[in-house]
Amino acid sequence: MRIAYLLLHAWGMGGTIRTVMNQANTLVAAGHEVELVSAVRHRDEVRFPLDPRVRVTALTDSRGASAPTVAATPSDGQSDKPKEDAPLHIPRGEFGYRYFNRHLEDAIMAYCSGVRDIDVLVSTRPGLNFLVARSAPKSIVRVAQEHMNLSVHRPDVRKSIKDYYPKFDAVAVLTHRDREDYGELLPKARILRIPNAVHEIEPRSVDYDSKIVSAAGRLAPQKGFDMLLPAFQKVAERHPDSQLRIYGGGEKKAELREQIEKLHLYNHVYLMGHTSQLDKELAKSSVYVLSSRFEGLPMVMIEAMTHGLCVVSFDCPTGPADVLTDGQEGLLVPAEDVDALADALCTVLDDADLRRRMGGTARESARDYAPAAVHPQWEKLFEELLAERGTKAGQR
Amino acid sequence: MTPHAELEQVWPRDGRIRLVGRLHEHIPGETAERWRLLLVLRDQEDQRLSYDTTLDGTRFEVSFPVDDLALDGLADATWDLHLEPGTGTPPRLRVGRQLDDIRGKKKIMVYPAQSVTSDEDATVVRPFYTVKDNLSVECLPGDIPLRPGEIELPEWIG
Repeated sequence: MRIAYLLLHAWGMGGTIRTVMNQANTLVAAGHEVELVSAVRHRDEVRFPLDPRVRVTALTDSRGASAPTVAATPSDGQSDKPKEDAPLHIPRGEFGYRYFNRHLEDAIMAYCSGVRDIDVLVSTRPGLNFLVARSAPKSIVRVAQEHMNLSVHRPDVRKSIKDYYPKFDAVAVLTHRDREDYGELLPKARILRIPNAVHEIEPRSVDYDSKIVSAAGRLAPQKGFDMLLPAFQKVAERHPDSQLRIYGGGEKKAELREQIEKLHLYNHVYLMGHTSQLDKELAKSSVYVLSSRFEGLPMVMIEAMTHGLCVVSFDCPTGPADVLTDGQEGLLVPAEDVDALADALCTVLDDADLRRRMGGTARESARDYAPAAVHPQWEKLFEELLAERGTKAGQR
Repeated sequence: MTPHAELEQVWPRDGRIRLVGRLHEHIPGETAERWRLLLVLRDQEDQRLSYDTTLDGTRFEVSFPVDDLALDGLADATWDLHLEPGTGTPPRLRVGRQLDDIRGKKKIMVYPAQSVTSDEDATVVRPFYTVKDNLSVECLPGDIPLRPGEIELPEWIG
């Protein structure tokens, strides 16, 4: 098969990009032709491992531009965008709205309407999905990926989803709960749940006597570290020898530092910053904690499970409840319930055998998210969709 | 690892800095009754502050008031911390945190500042880890925010 993925910025850092590159690597290794088509380009080098057989092209390129050009200077997407330049088809509520403009829309739709030499076009975020739905020919198989749960999308985005997603041959979402939610909004669309796969990692051995708890993510409101800190205050009182290490950087760092000082947690909670060896760091702890307000599918949590860490998590939309059964791989507590999170952390820190047992189950459950388990689902989906329309893709 | 005083906890609060930890690779034996925490002004060895303490085996717990560090006429000052027998005989053990796996504590294990005021000036006092993961205390002239948590990170943290 000849498969093209349409991305906003293939040279960027986000989770979607990493996931798509993982998929591309597996598909190209299975003998398919895979191309990544990026709407914009701001950098020279891709940030994640990518098989050299995967072609990467850009529809617009703002490298080296002296004057601000296409999306080179993202604004806040509010009132300061000149009207004549504002995108026509991207709702303002799209989280990537500020990266789009009229010129970029034209470039994307021109690519889509002209594309003939591929079998499958996969687009990877709402704004791109809407443009593909408007412009890509029905002669190719079109698949929309959703990396975010429906409840997070703003009303104008939901309306466009309702209008445009039924035009796709299939819509792929990350969790079972998303499949239900999107299914309710889009009764006529073909919706599948295919989770993201973790990148290939060598499971490390975990010291279950360790009372280090790990968390990771951008220091941003979404990750709920502001709720994790008061929870850990209770934990530190009960377990003075415990430690919380938070990996990641972000705009809330100073505020979190202030909260740590106010709660007198500076002997128990450390903002570790970025690390290039997260796997190694995670394996120093025996517990992973997820305090997010929302997620698509929390991949670092699954990576932690791959090593055998037991998990304590809010049951936030979406992901944790897909991956965890309360009492099996760890403990699942009501979303944003700080006391329940504290109690659950104390429960697992009380009992090294419990951590060991749950960690072992976590390692088993995480196998469902290995590339070998997930990526064949894509291949199977594309083949089915092609077969249904009678295209003999493999024989051309 | 050379003998040193390994920190477990540092508590900068309520006008004091309290240090908790254990001596590493040194057993004080009978001298444990009388030890002292020594603060030595960097680049000015003759300027020292000394606080008597009693060890529990190898375990130490000692505190001092931050007011003592903000000396008249010392605008910027860095104090290096040591533990030694009260007799002044060796060993002098540097206070630090060497035995865990975290490197680069200067940016990771960050402690709150406390402020000292007199009629004339204000000083911010904050313990910090050096690039060698030893503990020192820095005094910087500055205004006093209302809450320690509201103090912006001084430049030397970055």
